[in-house]
Amino acid sequence: MPEQKPVAHRSFRLGVAGPVGTGKSSLIALLCRELSGTLRLGVITNDIYTDEDARFLRSAGVLDPERIRAVETGACPHTAIRDDITANLLAVEDLEADFDPLDVVLVESGGDNLTATFSPALVDAQLFVLDVAGGGDVARKGGPGIARADLLVLNKTDLAPHVGVDVPRMIADAGEARGGRPVVALSRLDRASVEELTAWLRATLAEFRTGRHVPQDPGPMAPHSHADGMTHAHGDEQDDEHGHGDERGHHDEHGHHDEHGHHDEHGHHDEHGHHDEHGHHDEHGHGDEHAPLLTSHPSS
Amino acid sequence: MASPDLVLALLADARLPVGAHTQSAGLEPAVVHGGLTVADVPAFLRGRIATVVAVDAGTAVVARHLSLAGADLTAVEEAWAARTPSQALRQASRTLGRGYLRLAQRLWPGEARLAALTRTPARPVVLGVVAALAGLDAARLVRLCGHEDVATVGAAVLKLLPGDPADTVAWTLAAHPAIEALVARTAALTSPQEIPATAAPLVELQSLQHARTPRRLFHA
Repeated sequence: MPEQKPVAHRSFRLGVAGPVGTGKSSLIALLCRELSGTLRLGVITNDIYTDEDARFLRSAGVLDPERIRAVETGACPHTAIRDDITANLLAVEDLEADFDPLDVVLVESGGDNLTATFSPALVDAQLFVLDVAGGGDVARKGGPGIARADLLVLNKTDLAPHVGVDVPRMIADAGEARGGRPVVALSRLDRASVEELTAWLRATLAEFRTGRHVPQDPGPMAPHSHADGMTHAHGDEQDDEHGHGDERGHHDEHGHHDEHGHHDEHGHHDEHGHHDEHGHHDEHGHGDEHAPLLTSHPSS
Repeated sequence: MASPDLVLALLADARLPVGAHTQSAGLEPAVVHGGLTVADVPAFLRGRIATVVAVDAGTAVVARHLSLAGADLTAVEEAWAARTPSQALRQASRTLGRGYLRLAQRLWPGEARLAALTRTPARPVVLGVVAALAGLDAARLVRLCGHEDVATVGAAVLKLLPGDPADTVAWTLAAHPAIEALVARTAALTSPQEIPATAAPLVELQSLQHARTPRRLFHA
């Protein structure tokens, strides 16, 4: 028979993205090991083949295997976290219902390329994982996840001497690409770095619980410059902290009120389109009743 | 209300965010467990249209009819389930049904006919209600069910078997007469008892094998 389940409490949903082999699954295993004693956790994996990552995590023995669920992506891991998030949302909601209440659900993206980031309708915050073995110049090259994920993790720093990567240089490059957003240089062998990571998660969870946390969209595009010299990224509408033009302020400054006419007025012809699908319709703040996933609703 | 042709185009668009990209409409199970090859695909499509798609199309048409009449849809869901003996296929359909229902609730917020559905309705049941809400007639609804199945197989072929993407479009076009025959067979149905009960034992068996197979690309 079709199921009827009560609506569960809303967890804090944290996305973990990054290229193949950078250590997303191991990082999730690490978080489970560190946090499962104090937080109620669930994990959703997305992989090319259904359950490789889920099986790895179950076999790691860091969490009740029932709390680790795999989502099929139809060989489209990018689609499953951004363009059509349905399967992931249903999996998250099922976990929340089955283990109600959960504090945090970690959603691991299928290893994709540097451009894959989570839709803010799926996760409340996201971290992007690079590793030093992928090359010291990756952080400098940038991309939406590197530049604007809530947290950038430079993983496997213990390998740096073996692959000839200058970690302080890589951190500096990442800091520059991120305009001050946080970076954690992580090694599972370095206790202080592990604690830096878990402290970030606890702080972000605490902010989420205040109800003031608004998911940021790193966006699918790189930031760009306007003729007036302002640089901004269109995933940054609500992100005043870093001094990138607040989208609404930007509109006012230029007298824009047309959600779609933005690039025409500036004479931009960015072929990727200037407006992002999640940002511009939210001009009236974050209380959009059709977007319950964008805000914290403890009772929904 | 929008043009029914535009509604049909919208619902048949592969980019519709309902989770359909996770499905292969039985193709991956048939490739892995039945040894299906590219040359078999047109016959596979015809076989599905004559069997499982007929059940889904009939279910959707009856759900639409009863939804327009303000009637309860429990009997339609039960009739569909009775004609879909594989637990794996019922589950896959209900997962998709949740996706369509989630989207429909955004498009028609507070709509009582959606609220009256279960949390995990079969996909054709939700499609029937959506058709009623969007002004899609029964014939177009059957075409949607047929096209959706053929297009899903075509997209999955490109991930599973070597081939030319243009071939999948040619198969889709070649399936149109079979889909029109399905329109003639099911568009006028009004009661759950009339829904075709066309079994497809191989599809059902392979779906069950697939559900127990690790390392799969698609849900079903």
